[in-house]
Amino acid sequence: MSETIEELAAREYEYGFVTDIEEERIPKGLSEEIVRIISAKKDEPEWLLEWRLKAFKRFQQMLAEGHSPDWAKVSYPEIDFQDMYYYAAPKQKKQLESLDEVDPELLATYDKLGIPLLEQKRLAGVAVDAVFDSVSVATTYKAELEKKGILFGSFSEAVKDHPELVRKYLGSVVPYSDNFFAALNSAVFSDGSFAYIPKGVRCPMELSTYFRINAQETGQFERTLIVAEEGSYVSYLEGCTAPMRDENQLHAAVVELVALDDAEIKYSTVQNWYPGDKNGKGGIYNFVTKRGACRGKRSKISWTQVETGSAITWKYPSCILQGDDSVGEFYSVALTNNWQQADTGTKMIHIGKNTKSTIISKGISAGHGQQSYRGLVRIGPKAHGARNYSQCDSLLLGDQCGAHTFPYLEVKNASSTLEHEATTSKIGEDQLFYCRQRGISEEDAISMIVNGFCKEVLRELPMEFAVEAQALLGISLEGSVG
Amino acid sequence: MTMLEIENLHATAGGTEILKGIDLTIRPGEVHAIMGPNGSGKSTLAGVLSGRPTFEVTQGSVLYQGKNLLDLEPEQRAREGIFLAFQYPVEIPGVTNNYFLKASLNAIRAHRGEEELDAMDFLSVVKEKMKIVEMPKDLMGRSINEGFSGG
Repeated sequence: MSETIEELAAREYEYGFVTDIEEERIPKGLSEEIVRIISAKKDEPEWLLEWRLKAFKRFQQMLAEGHSPDWAKVSYPEIDFQDMYYYAAPKQKKQLESLDEVDPELLATYDKLGIPLLEQKRLAGVAVDAVFDSVSVATTYKAELEKKGILFGSFSEAVKDHPELVRKYLGSVVPYSDNFFAALNSAVFSDGSFAYIPKGVRCPMELSTYFRINAQETGQFERTLIVAEEGSYVSYLEGCTAPMRDENQLHAAVVELVALDDAEIKYSTVQNWYPGDKNGKGGIYNFVTKRGACRGKRSKISWTQVETGSAITWKYPSCILQGDDSVGEFYSVALTNNWQQADTGTKMIHIGKNTKSTIISKGISAGHGQQSYRGLVRIGPKAHGARNYSQCDSLLLGDQCGAHTFPYLEVKNASSTLEHEATTSKIGEDQLFYCRQRGISEEDAISMIVNGFCKEVLRELPMEFAVEAQALLGISLEGSVG
Repeated sequence: MTMLEIENLHATAGGTEILKGIDLTIRPGEVHAIMGPNGSGKSTLAGVLSGRPTFEVTQGSVLYQGKNLLDLEPEQRAREGIFLAFQYPVEIPGVTNNYFLKASLNAIRAHRGEEELDAMDFLSVVKEKMKIVEMPKDLMGRSINEGFSGG
């Protein structure tokens, strides 16, 4: 049995290739000068530079005071913030008129990742914004969406074309001073996606951003901002991959969502950053702040994440349930194999009356993987009739891995109802044998059992991606029963 | 020709010898019942024949349709036709009977060089079989052995 396991564990990360493309990089290191260079590259308005500089100041302060988050159950050597590049972009000769002018190397890269960008080949029903290192290189279906008044494209363009919207919402959910990595991101972010759904519009297709890290020794710091006006609906998906490298690379993103009255945002992530090799060398540090504000009455924000990649994941997609009767949901599958570490969960902050939240977290640990669920449910004094249901299940494969659960509950209103359920189980020899005795191979059996375990979460994903996620879980896990 | 030939089979579990030299020959069409008091090794014999990893064969041989059964992985034995009715069926949450049976049937069909059934073809096969045993339809959508009482 252990032979199949080793064979499978040795299977290579499918997206680990490097695109050979000429990239423009700014000097290594982090300073006020670097922040100014990034801002100048983007031709940004003064107010945005000011905001970046304030964020940078705050970051420096936090760095000096030793505020990097040390409470998470993950360990890694201290990051040298001077020893990386903060901006790398493929060289482009001129302003692009259409997608046909995008560098063929880039188009080929996205083809290889399964994200065709050209009109004749692009995915039906999914608009894609492709972010390559520090810049957005293409967005599909832009014109079609604009007919409905939906704005979707790169963050940099939004700053140019819709400064009033960006200025109004940027930092309104995750302030630059929020935490160490959010401060860093606010100072040096280079691009990301922006989506705006006008009042009463139901976005007719999935919006999606595909993040790709390519350049060496470069961090990726993107920002995503999604605003759903009254009564609108949008489903958004992000995917991410990176080349296999021996050094660790930092990815510190910020995502802000705003849902006004009766609006709904469904945000799904399939995170497949390079996880490092089987000895734990290399891989992405995925230190991300994601938060949604249900500002309006009866608004709803739903996070679904499938986290199979990254050497370290530090991420807590959260909901601030401000509007009365608003709803927050968090569905998560996190998988750690080999030497991967994940400290992930959510925060549900109930402020409005009759607010409701659901947390379903499924953690799978294999190899030497260490995994923690960390979740906060806070019921404010005015959140009459608030409800929360939390369920945290962990599945262990083998005896070298770990699963940990850190639920935090803060309840200041006696009329609220909270439920918490948690289980820890092992993929049993008995379950495996039962499947094998019916003719099913060991690897198919593991994949089947794990997918069954995650079913409640996977069914929340948009159809096209549920299939991909299932396959991904199978691949990331293969070779892990001890 | 014999179908199953067990010769001087010895097997241990956790270092304790449980099977101490079993001999048994089964020809096609025969039905054999193995009886004995608790702890006499009935389940161990079934476990060894189906390839349950908790048992170790220390001596003897088992020939199944001319093949050395002990050389085969449990799933290979199953595909060759060894079927074990479980005394304590395990639950597999979130995996429906429908999905499981299809995976099982297709693994066996692939082994026999037959074409795999797609979802539609499989469904019509299942419907037919379910009618024969008067099984309620909703059972196919239920998870494997969920809420099943053993014994």
